[in-house]
Amino acid sequence: MKALIVDDERLARQELRRLLAAHAEIDIVGEARSGEEALERIQQESPDLVFLDIQMPGLSGFDLLERLEDLPQIIFTTAYDEYALKAFEVNALDYLLKPVAPERLDAALRKVRPPAQPRMEQVFVRDGERCWIVRLQDIFLLESDGNYTRLYFGKQRPLIPRSLTALEQRLDPTAFFRAGRKHIVNLQWIEKVEEGVAGNLVATLRGGQTVEMSRRQSARLREVLEL
Amino acid sequence: MISRNTDYWLCEILGWGAYTAFTLTFAVAQAGWSAGVVARYGLFWLYSIALTHGLRRIIRQRKWLELPPLRWLPRLLGGAAVVGTIQALLVVAVDAALSGSLANATALQFVLLLWLTFIGVTFLWCVLYAAIRRYRASLEMQLSLREAELRALEAQLDPHFLFNCLNSIRGMIAENPAEAQNMVTRLANILRYNLQRDRQHTMPLAREVEVVSDYLALESARFEERLRVKIEIEPGAEEVPVPTMLLQTLVENSLKHGIQPLPGGGELLVRARIRQQLLVIEVENSGHLHGSQSDGAGVGLLNARQRLRLLYGERAGLCLAGGENGRVKASVEIPVIP
Repeated sequence: MKALIVDDERLARQELRRLLAAHAEIDIVGEARSGEEALERIQQESPDLVFLDIQMPGLSGFDLLERLEDLPQIIFTTAYDEYALKAFEVNALDYLLKPVAPERLDAALRKVRPPAQPRMEQVFVRDGERCWIVRLQDIFLLESDGNYTRLYFGKQRPLIPRSLTALEQRLDPTAFFRAGRKHIVNLQWIEKVEEGVAGNLVATLRGGQTVEMSRRQSARLREVLEL
Repeated sequence: MISRNTDYWLCEILGWGAYTAFTLTFAVAQAGWSAGVVARYGLFWLYSIALTHGLRRIIRQRKWLELPPLRWLPRLLGGAAVVGTIQALLVVAVDAALSGSLANATALQFVLLLWLTFIGVTFLWCVLYAAIRRYRASLEMQLSLREAELRALEAQLDPHFLFNCLNSIRGMIAENPAEAQNMVTRLANILRYNLQRDRQHTMPLAREVEVVSDYLALESARFEERLRVKIEIEPGAEEVPVPTMLLQTLVENSLKHGIQPLPGGGELLVRARIRQQLLVIEVENSGHLHGSQSDGAGVGLLNARQRLRLLYGERAGLCLAGGENGRVKASVEIPVIP
């Protein structure tokens, strides 16, 4: 499995490298000293796993994640930020406190999904002071709000500074369906579809939200569901 | 405690001494000097001190002054009445013993007047005692508030630094054991300095510089070539007492907000000199003064400023300035004579 180590301290990177030597399945494909370097490395090497320090000169760990289109699996390494991580509700794979205990590293690595399995797409979402790492399959609804879009997953409703149309281009069209001007729904989350008063389809999602399809998209949804 | 007791005894001796001397002048003016007069007034002076000292013990043991005023005032009045009565009885008794008869100068009217005067004077003693005690308590309260305020403002070791440093040491153990040993010793010095429980509010600059040097040596091991340090302390400046951990706060700030964000690192310069009875400490680093320094650095510098104000009033100051050619300088001025 390809892994990248991101930390501004050489000694810290080396220490992690030494700890990882005990894990033959981990192939360290590179190191980065800053968020900028990490961005480059990730684009070049597309690692499966990134060990990421949060406090770095220039781009911080969070800034870096925000710039990535498609997130690899992330394990945070941090000296004293576990409170920050909890406050941010970042559900990364795991986090390691430095100095890292070998057993703790073993435990974190056991949670890593092997690259043979289909990759789970996940994104980093930041709304003000709060951030999340969320799997696309867990997002059941995207709602346009001007130039912003509100995401629906779990009990969270963060507003992110991207337009619904811009997001649509990044989403898998077989999984996400444009319901109309304002909404994109996750097809996996549709519980039932009924015909509304005007002949438009109304989808009810697991969780209870209802989304009304536009006339044109109603016809398309019929096609999609019949397939 | 000793000096406070001395104050109390001085007040007792001089207070009753003044009253005795004052009344003695009337007696001498009336009847002239005699051994009997000196003995009567001398004895009066002594037992008055003894009696009010006894009253003070009762006041302290029963904690009268901690009661609300409406409850301690009648108690003090009662105490004064008892002491005044004993004083009047003793005056009559001494008079009788010395002159051999009760009839002499102790007309009933005179004794009555004496009795009331004694009660009045002793009550005045009580009021003065209560006033001084209250004043002292409020002073102590202010002092302990200032103490608490100072303690709260004193910088603590940054946990980030501590854990990052431990991590570097763990790495260094494999790479360079001798250097790892050095690092452990330096970290021990810093921890010892930080954990001192009876820490003073100020320390000689030389001691602060020692700790900051250890700190910078450890940070150099982490930052490696990204951190270049220079320390210049003028002779004469070493002995000046400075607020504990103040230099540390400045250096930490300058690393965290100045050098760490620079991918290529930078230079950190610590300078101390004496100019016109002021110790001038400067911490200069590569970097720029920017808006974000109003949050993180703001807290550290704000605390440092408040500590300087508590310790030196308006005679000390701290300022942070973005200088020319991309450098930031924090300067502190502290009076050489505190």
